Amino acid sequence: MSLLAVRNMTRRFGGLLAVSDVSFSVYKGEIFGLIGPNGAGKTTLFNLITGLTPPSSGDLEYKNRYITRLKPHQIAELGIARTFQNIRLFGNLTALENVLVSQHVHTRSGVLSGVIGTPGARREERQARWQAMELLEMVKLSDRAHVPALSFSYGDQRRLEIARALALQPELLLLDEPSAGMNANEKTTLTGFIREIRDRFGLTVVLIEHHVPMVMNLCDRIAVLNFGQLIALGEPAAVQNDSAVIEAYLGEQ
Amino acid sequence: MDSFINQYGFLIVQMVLQAVLALSLYLPLMAGQLSLASPAFYAVGGYVAAVLSTQKFLPPAGTVFPEPVQSLVIWLATVFPGAQDGLYPAGLVVLEMLIAGLISGVLALMVGFPALRLRGIYLALATIAFVEIVRVLSLNLPVTGGAIGIFNIPQPFHTKFEYLWIAGPLILLSVWFVARLERTRVGRAFAALREDELAATAMGINPTYHKVLAFTLGAVLAGMVGVVSAHFLNTWNARQGTFDLGVLVLAYVVIGGARTFAGPVLGALLLTALPEVLRAVAGLPGLPTWLTEFLREGRLIIYGILIAVGTVFFPQGLLTPEIFTRRRRPPGIQDSGAGETAPTEVS
Repeated sequence: MSLLAVRNMTRRFGGLLAVSDVSFSVYKGEIFGLIGPNGAGKTTLFNLITGLTPPSSGDLEYKNRYITRLKPHQIAELGIARTFQNIRLFGNLTALENVLVSQHVHTRSGVLSGVIGTPGARREERQARWQAMELLEMVKLSDRAHVPALSFSYGDQRRLEIARALALQPELLLLDEPSAGMNANEKTTLTGFIREIRDRFGLTVVLIEHHVPMVMNLCDRIAVLNFGQLIALGEPAAVQNDSAVIEAYLGEQ
Repeated sequence: MDSFINQYGFLIVQMVLQAVLALSLYLPLMAGQLSLASPAFYAVGGYVAAVLSTQKFLPPAGTVFPEPVQSLVIWLATVFPGAQDGLYPAGLVVLEMLIAGLISGVLALMVGFPALRLRGIYLALATIAFVEIVRVLSLNLPVTGGAIGIFNIPQPFHTKFEYLWIAGPLILLSVWFVARLERTRVGRAFAALREDELAATAMGINPTYHKVLAFTLGAVLAGMVGVVSAHFLNTWNARQGTFDLGVLVLAYVVIGGARTFAGPVLGALLLTALPEVLRAVAGLPGLPTWLTEFLREGRLIIYGILIAVGTVFFPQGLLTPEIFTRRRRPPGIQDSGAGETAPTEVS
């Protein structure tokens, strides 16, 4: 069953066709890889799906509902969470606060009930903190929950960003180059971690990744973008031997 | 003690009122919005107080309200002490504050939705324009008394110092409100928007709603300060709540520190007291004449130098959140610890 359907998605930036007539479906529960050379339009596609960039044309369907014209926060509310290629944590907030921010849509205390501290608001706050600590525990950052995010190492920031995205309780998780800047060892750990959270939270994962062995190992299906166009789509082994893909990566023979 | 209060009572209340005003500018800043609109709401609040207290509440004109409101006015006029001494009932000042807060809030919603589509310096410019619109309107409308303004605003207290009965609770409540807000769901949404608006929206935070909310909360506070100031200063006109005040309040926030509620409060207290401190220093015996002259006449120069030096050496302001967190027991899961049942439902 398709969870997300991208239909004829096109985005122009002036004369540049960043994403050109791209269509594909992501099935529930799968790990879907999005690869392609630099500037192929992968991150633009993520921005289109999360509503940060409006499409020039095309449609997005999520859980049989059109989400093309929704605002980013409405799309997040529907259960699509993401991380960013150039990490975008709330630097001056602590790790715990970063995760708590994402619980916004699942909590409801307002200005007055929060400030006064009504029993309901207190209970909600306690529960939110407890769940946030659970998530930090899972990414092994709970011992530094009260440290500002900007003082974390690069790899820790990447893990914190995943924890923050998970706090949204998403069904669809978009990871933009989660292994960037990691060494081989960390990449192996990350592969296992992505599988683990997929199983534990019943997630569907779409990830942009440059590290080919990791993609081949991790993904159920792969889409390849080049100059904004979808040039291949299928299982890792099939895509790996696709002549268009080889040409895009290595040039013509 | 009495002579101290006689001499500095006015200043102390002034310091407290400026501190609340600083918080009113800090509130939109919590959500990353630099608004200089506080003086406009301050001016509106002052006119609400001036008009109500000189023309509406006082008998025999006090019969202008429909019934339930009229009973409330009479009740408030008698329940607080003071009315018997021929003073203006303090209860009515509180009522004026509520009305001014309401009017400022509604006005802020109307201004906020279009204005907060702008970002950064453009929003600041739009809010300056709003301050100017309010000034020109108050200069030309009959109800605000034109260029003369409204004077003889009745006094709820015998001395200026006694205004602390109103200003004191107001600052305590505002500080409590903002300090608590910073650690709640809505306050965290503000902070997230301030840190990175794009990431915040991708995490499900509605940017427009929270920006307008922060702006409106600041406006309500500024309107309430205006009410107290109008009584305190005894007269209200178009020279109150102008762009100059906006710059001054911004200086409080910048000098004190824009990242914690304590910064604006400290900045306002220090900068409001500074001229008087300099005056007192100039009065010390044994100083050379040129120095006393400079301290007396050159106050504004010293003021400017301090702002320049302050921003160079304390770019974050005097107070930063880190100063407080270093000593505080870390919040979080420990808070829900001993004696309380841990929530069972964990996704």
